[in-house]
Formats: sequence, C-alpha cells, structure tokens
Amino acid sequence: MEASVMEPLVSALLMGERAEALAAARQLLAADISRERIITEGIEPAMTSLDEKCTIEQFNLLEIMLVGRALNAVVDLLYPEGTSPPATRGTVAVASLKGDIHDIGKKIVIIVLKANGYHVIDCGKDCPVDRLVNTAAGEGAMAVLVSGLITSVIPQIRQLKDALREKGCSHVKVMAGGAALKQATTDDLQVDYVAQTAFDGLHFLRALS
Amino acid sequence: MPLITAHANSTVLPIHFQTGQTLRAILDTTTMRVRSGCRGTGACGLCCIRLVAGSGNAPTPNERLQLSPEKLTAGVRLACQFQPSGDVTVELLNPAPPSDWKSLGQEILRPASCLLPSRSFPLTTATSMGIAVDLGTTNICLALYNLLTGQRLSERSGINPQSLFGSDVMTRLVAAAESAEIAGKMSDMVLVALAEAIQDISSREGIDTSQAIYLTLVGNTAMLALLTGKGHELLLRPEMWEQAIPCPTVPPSHWGARLGIHAMANIEVIAPLAGFVGSDLLAGLLAMHLTKREKPALFIDFGTNTEIALWDGHQLLVTSAAGGPAFESCGISCGMPAESGAIYRVTHQGADTLSFEVIDDLSPPRGLCGSGLVDLVACLCQDKILSDTGRFLSPSSPVEYCLPWPGKGLSITKRDIDMLQRAKAAVAAGVTALLNKAALSASALTRVCLAGAFGKYIRVASAKAIGLLPDIDDNRFELCGNTALAGCEDLLLSSEAADRLEGIRSEAELINLSRIADFDELFFNHLFFRPMTEASHDS
Repeated sequence: MEASVMEPLVSALLMGERAEALAAARQLLAADISRERIITEGIEPAMTSLDEKCTIEQFNLLEIMLVGRALNAVVDLLYPEGTSPPATRGTVAVASLKGDIHDIGKKIVIIVLKANGYHVIDCGKDCPVDRLVNTAAGEGAMAVLVSGLITSVIPQIRQLKDALREKGCSHVKVMAGGAALKQATTDDLQVDYVAQTAFDGLHFLRALS
Repeated sequence: MPLITAHANSTVLPIHFQTGQTLRAILDTTTMRVRSGCRGTGACGLCCIRLVAGSGNAPTPNERLQLSPEKLTAGVRLACQFQPSGDVTVELLNPAPPSDWKSLGQEILRPASCLLPSRSFPLTTATSMGIAVDLGTTNICLALYNLLTGQRLSERSGINPQSLFGSDVMTRLVAAAESAEIAGKMSDMVLVALAEAIQDISSREGIDTSQAIYLTLVGNTAMLALLTGKGHELLLRPEMWEQAIPCPTVPPSHWGARLGIHAMANIEVIAPLAGFVGSDLLAGLLAMHLTKREKPALFIDFGTNTEIALWDGHQLLVTSAAGGPAFESCGISCGMPAESGAIYRVTHQGADTLSFEVIDDLSPPRGLCGSGLVDLVACLCQDKILSDTGRFLSPSSPVEYCLPWPGKGLSITKRDIDMLQRAKAAVAAGVTALLNKAALSASALTRVCLAGAFGKYIRVASAKAIGLLPDIDDNRFELCGNTALAGCEDLLLSSEAADRLEGIRSEAELINLSRIADFDELFFNHLFFRPMTEASHDS
C-alpha cells in the first residue's frame, strides 16, 4: 500500500516532470504524510531507480537535469527556506577547480547527493584549491569532491590532500570524478577515490559512514 | 551506381563511381593510385592499366600515341584517358605507392563576388607556385596553385597524424606539456605529413613542387602552437583562452627544404586571434566576406570545437563552443565520416517508412555520418519514436533504435542521442548567446554560412527541426565546405586579403561563453530537440 501512495511522486520525479512532482508532493502533505516519509519512501526510491537506470544508460544529461529540477522543487516545497533542513548523512564540499569552467557533471553529483540526504556545499566552478579546502575545514565536511572535465586541473587535485592536512583535516576524504579524471588512478591523482559516475561516488560516501 | 573492381599488386579495391569521369580521377579519391608525370593530360603515358572486363570510351588520340596497337588490343589503357561506362574490372600496371592523401572531393563553393584581386609575385622561376594549408585537429587539407594565373593545380586532404596523441585538442596539449620530446615529435609529425602530401602531389601529378615559393598556413590555435612549438603550454590555462597567443609567423628557414618545396620559400603561419579562436576561423570569415555588408550575418564552422561568428552590421562577435565530436560522428556507436557507405540523408517515405541515402549506394550501409544522424533524429522526433527530451518512447526498446538492417550493428543508442544533444546544445546556446549580446533576433539574419565537412552535407530543415540552427528561411543558409582553406587561398593569392584579415582581426570581439551569466540556462534549454525559437521556454 505504501508504495502506491508514493507512486505518483516517484514516477513524476523519474520523468522529470516538475509540475506533476510538486502536485504529487502536495497531495502527500495534504494526506498528512510526514516530510521525512516523503524523503525516505518517495525521493530515495526514485533516486535508487535512477541509479539503476543510469547504469544501463537509460538516462541522458537532459533527463537527469530535469529530474534534478523536479527534485529540487519538491525538496524546496518540503523544506522552504528558513525551516530546518532534514538531518544529513554528512557534509561534502564540491567544486570544479581553477581553470575548469565546466560544471554539468558537478551539478549531477550535487543532485544525487542532496537527494540522498547529504548536505552539499557547492564551491562553484573555477574554484581555487584554498577556497575549497577552507570551506571543507570550516564546515566540517566529511569529504571534498572535485569534478574535472579538463586534465589541466590534475596538478591542483594532487595538492588537495596536503592542503587539507595542513588545515588539520587529514580525515577528510578526497574524491575525484569527471570525464578527464575517471581514467586516472587514485595514486595518479593522490586522492582517496576516483568515481566513475555520480552514483559510484555516492556508494563510496555511503561506505564511509 | 556502377562498380570498379581495381586490382593493384595483390590488393583488390571495390570502388563505386559516377560515370563521366576518368578512371584516374576516380582512383584519386581512394587510397589506390596510379603513377603520373603529367597531371592527367595523357602526355606522359605512365598511368597504364589493363581493362580486364567491362567497357568505356574508345581509346583517345593521346592513348593511340602512347600505346602500341598490340597493347591497345590487349586492353591496355591510360587511366587518365579511360572513362568507364559501367561495371569494370581493371588492373593497375603501374600503381603508385598507396597514399593516405586523397583529392578533395569537391571544389569550395563560394560566390564569384568573393574573389579578391591577385597580388603580384616576383618572377623567380618560370612557374611560381604556392601552397595553402588548413591545419585542422582531425584533417589536414592543402592546395597547390599557380601563383601567376591563380589556377588551382592540385589538392590533397589527409589525417592529422597527431591524433595518435589524442583526438581532441586538450589531450594533445597535455601530452605536449609532459615533455619537450613529445612536443617536438608532434611538431615533426605535422611537417612529415605535409611533406608526404606535397611529395604525393609531386609523384602523382608530375609537378615540380620545388618551384613552390610561397606557403601560407592557417589552423586552430592549438594546432598552430603545437606546430611552431610555441605557446602550447599557455593554452592549458583557461585565462589565456581570450588572450593573444604568441605565434611565430615566420618559421625556421629549414622548413622549405623539409617540406619539399623551394628551399628559400616564403612560409607564413597566419597567427590565431586568441587562445580559442584560430586563424582558420579568421580565414573563413575572410573567404565568406562576412563583415562586408551592413546586414547581420552568422558564420558557423562545425567541428569538435565549433567556432561561431556573428556580424551585426557594425561589430563582429566571435566565440567557440566545445560540443564534442558528434557532428563528425566520432564516438557515435555506428558513426563514420562522410565517406563511401555512410548514410548521409534520412527522409520520410510515406507516413512511417524512412528512406536512407547512402554515399555510393552501398548496401548494407557501413554507418551513419553527421548529417545522417541529424536527419535520423529529426525523423524519429517527428514520428514520436523519440521525445523532445531524447527519450525513446517505445516501451519495447527504451535504449536504442535499430536501423532496418538487422544484424548489421546499425543502431543509435541513448548514449548517442545524449552526445548529439550536448553537441547541438553547445552550438545553439553559443549562437543564442551571441544574438543576445548583439540584441538581435535570429529572424534579422540575412545570411547563415555553414562551414566544415558537416556544414557541407547538412540538411538545413532537419537541423532546424532539432534546434541546431535558427528557425529562419532555408534560403538564408549557405553550405560552404572548407572555408578555412578558401580563406587561406585568398591570403596566398591576393594582395588585399592580408589587409582585410588584419581588419577582421582588429574588429573581432571575443566572447567567452563560460563568462556569460545565463549560459548554463541557455545550454539546458537547448538540450531539447525542438526548434530554436521555442527552446527558450522551459518545460
């Protein structure tokens, strides 16, 4: 029975239909279903399904971005600005480093992590190593994620672990992903993990906690 | 289309051809060639073949002069004189070494009004020749001219051998940054390739290329930097993409000898505009006279990096959009260049039936080239097989669409669709960003010049339907082919061209798309397969 209550929301999210997803979420709220349940029984199953379908290449960039928009709209509805955000699985700082002005991959990662209960701080694109490391230290992040579409950012990535250590944050994990980086090894990049996809990155984070 | 079965040494090559051409002209578009010392006038008698089966024109007077009656009876002909009239089998009696350099299939199309007055050259030798080169990331094209008459004597195109170090510019730049040795090797490779192409002209056309006293070269910034060995490390820094990159325009003096042209030849590398806009684009704008009239005009040179220029009648805005190689059909599962066996056109034949046109009518086709891909996607969207978000609507086949040749591996997948969406969104968003910057609507454009190989075969209606090109009248589009080589030809031959080029260079305003505030939003909106005018409406 539970599944069928959530079904319209899950399917609207997966279709990337923002208006329908919002309407479905409003109906659930009107039926006195808690925000937490909508997250755990609606949004998270939708993300699991997206994860499975992405693995078999059923989703393209546009569809994922549409899902992301629908998802953000629903999360904004459930937790309007000013209300306390849902409990998080942890904080992560995400950036494209100095010189890299591509951030589509990063956006997908943010969508996936947010939908799975992480508090994500987006340090933006063209971000200097210092700023990313300071943000991670200041916010008590569990991990730093860098997305790279061009290989020229590799030297900066190699500085991250040391820069974190200098801030007394040697426990903070560093994960890299993106077209230019995913062929590289963790040793090459001097990071803790190289994620093949946004979901691969999610699985790594989950295994940490 | 009739078929030639050509035997040379121990290899056999099937070649589909249009009648009305000489065998030599047909062979020159393939990798199997005949030797020649006279550029195919019938004067040297070197290009002997034997007609094993089939027929063609009667022996010409030149053949009767060169070949004995016994030879003629035995079926020996000259490839430059023999015109096959149907299916034939021929044996090349004097094959040239196989060459990777092919003749360009087609002349560059441009209006006569675009031709510039010629410059006067010092008469150093009886026939002064010059060479124009377009150094591209994937292809190298060059053409040889008689400088006195302006006549094009020969041309070649081939693959840039640097692709060994990566098919895209960024990978090559990173490789070059790794060691001076690799950087030097990459520069060498291009010089060797150019020398081979020039040698190919010399050996197959019988032209003494040491009489080439001028060589003018254009290319994208990265290719020029890798060739000259200067500034390529700067290109890895995005803050340099909008800056002028130092480029030695006069290369070392030993290049003439290395290239097999006159040892004292005047070699000129046309400097790029900036980090992401090369002299290939400048040459294209020059050849198309984009900035000549007062009416707004748009220029798009399709490639892995698509360069876009907008002339609004007063100012010239120039940008580059990195959309990936989908238009060249690289990375597409059944993608291939626009060569023999490629589906290049897909149209509706009746309500639900698609009709496929294949280069040289090969059956089954070998793959899909860029224009075929755009056509196919436009048809599938129209038939509601594909949604405007790029989703296959058939529940039975959600991840691919199979072309009607079962078992031949001909299908397009969800991933292919995604690549095309990204490529077309990058270009369309770039065009929209420039139009917005100039406060122009697409309907104000009086000319849209489409350059590059893809820009030669593209079906404008399909490109408009999926939102790759602005939705304006078909008659405003011009399919121009390799405009970079055309502009380079102007620079080689014309006294005015260099001045005009400097004019274009000084008035061009560079637009870095990544610095445009709403570019991400534009890109997102253009991912949809729908005409550009509607693309601004978010779903």
